[in-house]
Amino acid sequence: MINLNFISAEIFISVSIMFLLILGVFKKNSSSLIHNLSIGLLLITGILILNNYPDKSLTFFANSYIIDTLSSLMKIFTVIGGALVLSISKKYLKISNIFLIEYPILILCSILGMMVMISSNDLIVFYIGLELQSLALYVLASFNRDQLKSSESGLKYFVLSALSSGLLLYGCSLIYGFSESTNFNIIGNALKSTHYGLTFGIVFILVGLAFKISAVPFHMWAPDVYEGSPTSVTLFFATVPKVAALTVFIRFLYVPFINMIDQWQPIIIFLSIASMIFGAIAAIGQNNLKRLVAYSSIGHIGYTLAGLSVATNEGIQASIIYISIYMVMNLGLFSCLFMMKRNDQFFETIEDLSGLSKNHPILSLSFLVILFSLAGIPPLAGFFAKFYIFKSVIEQSMYFLAIVGLLSTVIAAFYYLKIIKVIYFDKEKEKYDTDHSTWLKVSLAISTLLILLYFIFPSKIVEIVSSVTII
Amino acid sequence: MLAHAIFFYIFSFIAIVSAIMVTVSKNTVHSVFFLILDFISISCLFIMIGAEFLGMIMLIVYVGAVAVLFLFVVMMLNVAQQKNQWFSARESSKHIPIGLIISVIIFFELIIVIGGWKYKPDLMPAVSLTMDKEISNTHALGNILYTDYIHIFQLSGMVLLVAMIGAIVLTFRQRSGVKRQSYFSQISRERSDAVEIINVESNKGVKFDD
Repeated sequence: MINLNFISAEIFISVSIMFLLILGVFKKNSSSLIHNLSIGLLLITGILILNNYPDKSLTFFANSYIIDTLSSLMKIFTVIGGALVLSISKKYLKISNIFLIEYPILILCSILGMMVMISSNDLIVFYIGLELQSLALYVLASFNRDQLKSSESGLKYFVLSALSSGLLLYGCSLIYGFSESTNFNIIGNALKSTHYGLTFGIVFILVGLAFKISAVPFHMWAPDVYEGSPTSVTLFFATVPKVAALTVFIRFLYVPFINMIDQWQPIIIFLSIASMIFGAIAAIGQNNLKRLVAYSSIGHIGYTLAGLSVATNEGIQASIIYISIYMVMNLGLFSCLFMMKRNDQFFETIEDLSGLSKNHPILSLSFLVILFSLAGIPPLAGFFAKFYIFKSVIEQSMYFLAIVGLLSTVIAAFYYLKIIKVIYFDKEKEKYDTDHSTWLKVSLAISTLLILLYFIFPSKIVEIVSSVTII
Repeated sequence: MLAHAIFFYIFSFIAIVSAIMVTVSKNTVHSVFFLILDFISISCLFIMIGAEFLGMIMLIVYVGAVAVLFLFVVMMLNVAQQKNQWFSARESSKHIPIGLIISVIIFFELIIVIGGWKYKPDLMPAVSLTMDKEISNTHALGNILYTDYIHIFQLSGMVLLVAMIGAIVLTFRQRSGVKRQSYFSQISRERSDAVEIINVESNKGVKFDD
């Protein structure tokens, strides 16, 4: 008999999905109730995970499901991120006429998939979790089905993602063929020889995973999907699935492939360098803020991959800190986007921001803080995130990676500063509405304060994350 | 043993003949029915070699779902009568060489696979696996599916649920202005609600207040 306490969060979230579904079917006009309930249920899930926070790694179901500090920490990030995304997007959904009961339920389903992905210690469990989360994400991308762009982005995401899943499965089958097991630990012990088939398997799996986190050169879906999807879904794409995919990346690289480090390290370094440079340069010409976020997320993923490539615990911890700070910055940025609304219409280009500081000084101040943080200017949180990454990279004397990273930070700072220039020095436009929901204001305030005051308590977060040791 | 052989040849014969009929019959609906017959006889063959679970799954999935889906598509697209005949019409004869080449390639691939399987000395033969004759395939599968793989089984159910929700969200539209039949009000309607008998006096007529 296994101890079900440790997987109570997954069981709870599955049961609540079905409960919400039945409630939504039998109770008319219950969108608002279900939306609020699912936020509450997500928070309860977070408490359940926190309550069963393990001090050593435990495995379940014939060693195919793992609960350790890494998985629990990342699950808490996922769940809290999901709850925040839901709470700030309520008004947007209402105005865009997509305030349906299925929206929060699909988000819950994809979070369940992510939790399974994060905890997987087996190729089959990993793949099922991945498909569960991406299937829900395809539907969410095309949720606003009356808009051509939304349907297009859903279809694009579906086709390209299915292709990458195929590559991933091919890699999985090669790995299975050479190691005779789907279990990560057994694969890790078996993969010692340098057989060509194994290298191919690793490359295929890494390609599939790189596609899911939109690392260059597998990024081409991201800008279109980010632009076409409803803004609330873009926010979800940009934050929560990245956390889950990063965890899977860590798990794959450091459990089954740990002995093949010579094979995968150059691949990760290449992905990292390409993403950092491309993310910095391609975003310069963008005018749509959602597209810009897509390119900037490609760049930021490059930095997290740099942390993964160094093969030390410090590097992994730096990546985890980076992705969590990135999540906070994105939540703040999208809260600002949700506030750019006039007469029930949302604006999302850079020109719409011009002269924002004259009419909305507080909103523009938050924008300023978040954008400076994204650019990595001290003493904001974004600077510390990059600092930890570069520190761990330089400790392993990978100077080339560090130099490229620093240079691309400088290039990327250009387009963040350009937005700030538009906000503060351009001609002012009409006022935006100010009747924002409390949740939106609170979330913007919290994320801005977190970014602003991070330098007071940096050791706290480092302490929490330092419990994550994989190697 | 003789009965076994006789049944094997009967089912194999039916399978091969119906497979040929799928490709040559002119009526598309007949093709689909021959396909179903093919599936059924192959599942009978599976059951005969003791793979009863595979045979039943074959029946449920291929006959119950896939073939019926084919039938729906054929009927909805209204392509029951094929205009051109295979092997004779000029348009379709262009495809035949390509089809033949692909068939030959698949045939040789099968020969390579089966040959390698037969003549590779270090490959483990199927008889060497320890198998419990008492327990059936379905039992054996159930024993691991509901214990070691229970989480994967349940999560596959969640994947199907998400697929269903997604299909409904993306296609279901609440149309306004549709007049629906209300059986309850139809049945509970009485004669006294609808018909009124009035004595009409001559030269007065009837006045309705409607």
